[in-house]
Amino acid sequence: MFLEIKDIRKSFGEKDAKVDVLKGIDISLNKGEICVLLGPSGSGKSTLLNIVGGIDTADAGYISIDGQKTKDMSEKALTNYRREHLGYVFQQYNLIPNLNIRENIEVGSYLSKNPLDVEEIIQTLGLYEHRHKLPNQLSGGQQQRTSIGRAIVKNPNILLCDEPTGALDYNTSREILKLIELVNQKYNTTMIIVTHNEAITQMADRIVTMRDGKVRKNYINENKIPAEQIEW
Amino acid sequence: MKNPLNKRFPKELLGDLGKYIVIFVFVTAMIAAVSGFFASDDNMYQTYTSGFETYHIESGHFSTYTELDEETIEQIEAEEFSYKDQVYQMEICNADYYNMESEGTDGDNTVRVYQNRESQNLLDIFEGEYASKEDEITLDRMYAANNDIKVGDTIKVGSLSYTVTGLVAAPDYSCLFEDNTSVMFDAFHFGVGFMSEGGINRLPQEKITYNYSWRYSTWIEDDKIAKEVGDEVLEYLKDTVVLTNFVPEYSNNAIIFTGDDMGSDKAMFGVFYVIVMVIIAFIFAVSSVGTIEKEAGVIGTLRASGYRKAELVRHYLFLPTAVIVLAGIIGNILGYTVFEDIFAELYYNSYSLAPYQRSFHWPSFLMTTLLPVAMMLVINLVVLNSKLKLSPLRFLRHDLSRRGRKKSIYLPKKRPFMHRFRLRILFQNIGNYIVLVLGVILAGVIVIFGLMFEPMLDSYGELVADDAIASHQYVLKTPAETETKGAEKYGMYSLNLHMEGYVEDSVLIYGIQEDSEYLDLDFSEHQIYYSNGLADKYKIKAGDTLKLDEAYVDKSYEFVLSEEVEYYPSFAIFMSIDDFNEFFDYEKDSFTGYFSNKEITDIDSIYISTDITVSDLTHLSDQLDHSIGGFVKIFQILGVVMFLLLMYLLSKQIIEKNAKSISMVKILGYRNGEVARLYIIATAVVVLGALLVAIPIVSTLLHWVFDTYIYTMMAGYIPYLIPTAVYVKMFVMGVGSYAVVSVVLMHKINRIPKSDALKNME
Repeated sequence: MFLEIKDIRKSFGEKDAKVDVLKGIDISLNKGEICVLLGPSGSGKSTLLNIVGGIDTADAGYISIDGQKTKDMSEKALTNYRREHLGYVFQQYNLIPNLNIRENIEVGSYLSKNPLDVEEIIQTLGLYEHRHKLPNQLSGGQQQRTSIGRAIVKNPNILLCDEPTGALDYNTSREILKLIELVNQKYNTTMIIVTHNEAITQMADRIVTMRDGKVRKNYINENKIPAEQIEW
Repeated sequence: MKNPLNKRFPKELLGDLGKYIVIFVFVTAMIAAVSGFFASDDNMYQTYTSGFETYHIESGHFSTYTELDEETIEQIEAEEFSYKDQVYQMEICNADYYNMESEGTDGDNTVRVYQNRESQNLLDIFEGEYASKEDEITLDRMYAANNDIKVGDTIKVGSLSYTVTGLVAAPDYSCLFEDNTSVMFDAFHFGVGFMSEGGINRLPQEKITYNYSWRYSTWIEDDKIAKEVGDEVLEYLKDTVVLTNFVPEYSNNAIIFTGDDMGSDKAMFGVFYVIVMVIIAFIFAVSSVGTIEKEAGVIGTLRASGYRKAELVRHYLFLPTAVIVLAGIIGNILGYTVFEDIFAELYYNSYSLAPYQRSFHWPSFLMTTLLPVAMMLVINLVVLNSKLKLSPLRFLRHDLSRRGRKKSIYLPKKRPFMHRFRLRILFQNIGNYIVLVLGVILAGVIVIFGLMFEPMLDSYGELVADDAIASHQYVLKTPAETETKGAEKYGMYSLNLHMEGYVEDSVLIYGIQEDSEYLDLDFSEHQIYYSNGLADKYKIKAGDTLKLDEAYVDKSYEFVLSEEVEYYPSFAIFMSIDDFNEFFDYEKDSFTGYFSNKEITDIDSIYISTDITVSDLTHLSDQLDHSIGGFVKIFQILGVVMFLLLMYLLSKQIIEKNAKSISMVKILGYRNGEVARLYIIATAVVVLGALLVAIPIVSTLLHWVFDTYIYTMMAGYIPYLIPTAVYVKMFVMGVGSYAVVSVVLMHKINRIPKSDALKNME
């Protein structure tokens, strides 16, 4: 297994106010798989993604990536782990407002020892003609494409996407999903996509459904279809 | 690969150009002023200290009742004084002088005339040449400048005319104290002049003071040793000659005041400079915190992507540091090329120093280059490290409060909505407002420091004039009778007050007629009154016993004090003239002078030692006004600039931080004016509050500085009197500054577009 999520538990608050958000999550992914985490709000999927991403900690259990367990890492090692292995895409694009599109992508490239070619990424993302523009001159979809570019230019082993289409309209969302699929195919990047949009599961290799901090379903998607065919 | 975040720097600089320009200009001006001041102070101090050897400055001087003959001088010079294993002998130089009246621009002055010097206290000439003919005089440069006397002019010295041939600096009068117990030097009404032997011989003999300077065979650097040896010398001279004056170098204000003042000026400027730089560093820190809060999502994403905390700290540290470094470079260039000469000129306005010697002083240079950068780095590093220590997730959630989730403070519904809104703005921006309050208080101190001296000295001058016992106070050399109507006899005796922690002071003991027309005091029960200056400076109260010493004799007197009286011209004790004569073992009906509101013309001038007029008593305030006038102007300007700077930067930041909320309330239908009132009035309340709070704080602080520092350093007394008008002026200047700033802020609020609230800003 490339990514192993083993018996992850997490709670917030103390005593009477204690809320168990994750109640023992087990998921395993192979290299290059697209995993869609599906569930309603409060099901714990974003918390799980943050723990995989090393920006939150689990109370119990562990995450192992290519044999490396994150729970044994110091804060510094965890930063290096994120720097080298992970790419992040959020619902909010979080681009740097006074850097242009190319420069925003370079922000990701700078972190990697083995980055992808920035020009190629810009071309792949269809942002070539916008590369000198500032984020506020672009549409939401173009900004999200930029944030994907910033994440994948690092050439990460894993791309974590938290509601990547949550702030986008239908057509733009489909474009973004196609792009994610393209990146997965081109760079063999393992992907975890958190969403509450059930339609997105159709492009996944593995579908994990969560509710109340537990995995309700975890199965291989036998009927995977290309992103461009997804409708909702 | 270079960090792509670096590409933000020029854009951030341009994006917030106003802030960076304002800070850059202020810090540059500040560093320019401080480096210029330090350079001039260092060079002046070096000129001053090197003069001790260059000009063979005296180890002290003493005056005698009669002229010493050769034999006595040889006897004194042969005497050995020792401290531990070191033996010292005195090399005596005749330094007789004549205190002559001379007309100045502002009434009669005193010019103390010496013969040209050859072995001790050598002169340095600024302009012209030394007097060589019998009708020529060389004058002290400062005195000449203050009285508009130029080389080639003719001045009256006593009744004779002398041509001024040159302007000089005398090392034993770097500060023109007429008397070592004077409260302050007076370079307007007192000066020194130098003549050839022929010139001196023309002066009236009754004006001569037999005076001798001396240098030890080995110069004593350490003041403690100099005091030990000086005490030995005094003991010896008391037994050998009839002393009328004894002033060793280490306690001679005319010599040491300059050096002490330069040292304290530098220390004061240094402290002030550090405080201002700390405030600037905090402004940057608060500004960076505002940027971090604004960019929380980006920071969270960068941290989640693997950017290290140190990389981000360096990133947010770069621009403030770059601004300070650049300001340091330009400020120092300006300081050493322009401001040094300005401050040197200010020193030359106060002190009669030798010509300026320019050299480089590393410690001061480091103070104005490394120190501001170091303070900026340390303060911002601490603040940024603490802020960026939060987890990436906290940044992504915009949850940056260190005390956990913020809770809403309950505000009573009865309060009008707009009041509650403003209170919320206050609570939300509490960090900015705390820095604003501290900054306003500091600027208030600076402004009041700049404003207080002129009215304080004026008030003091008025009080002194009001309390003058009579228009003329004649001090006689020997008792003489007068027929002048209203003239009233009094007794006067000068004693010294030594109190731990203070410099030596002189107290005048007055014997007053019981039915005096000039002082309304009741002596029926042998009361002893003491002047309010003693009470204020030395915390003396009724019932205390005050011990005073004779100057050159081992004798002390104790006075049991009855009641405090207001009397500002000097430290004084009043008793009835009968008690006075009895106390000092004088014959009944003895007296030493007259109080008179009319000029006494029927006593020969040779019997009159001094005629103290009201204007003599107010000279102090004139001199201080002249000496510190230039400095206080700088403080006034600096204070107002500080007001403007702090109010602008911190209020601007609050507006920027709240741009989204402002945009939202605009969308809801609030007009620009209403929005502006919300934010501008909220800040105005803080500014007004800070200005009001500043008043008692500044007053207490400055009073404390007077009590613990100024009073312990100076002889005599200036009451701490800051008229209410000074506080009102400071308040008005603060309010005026905010009025200017609020116009700019209003413009800024008007320019915030409604669309901001709806945009994804990150």
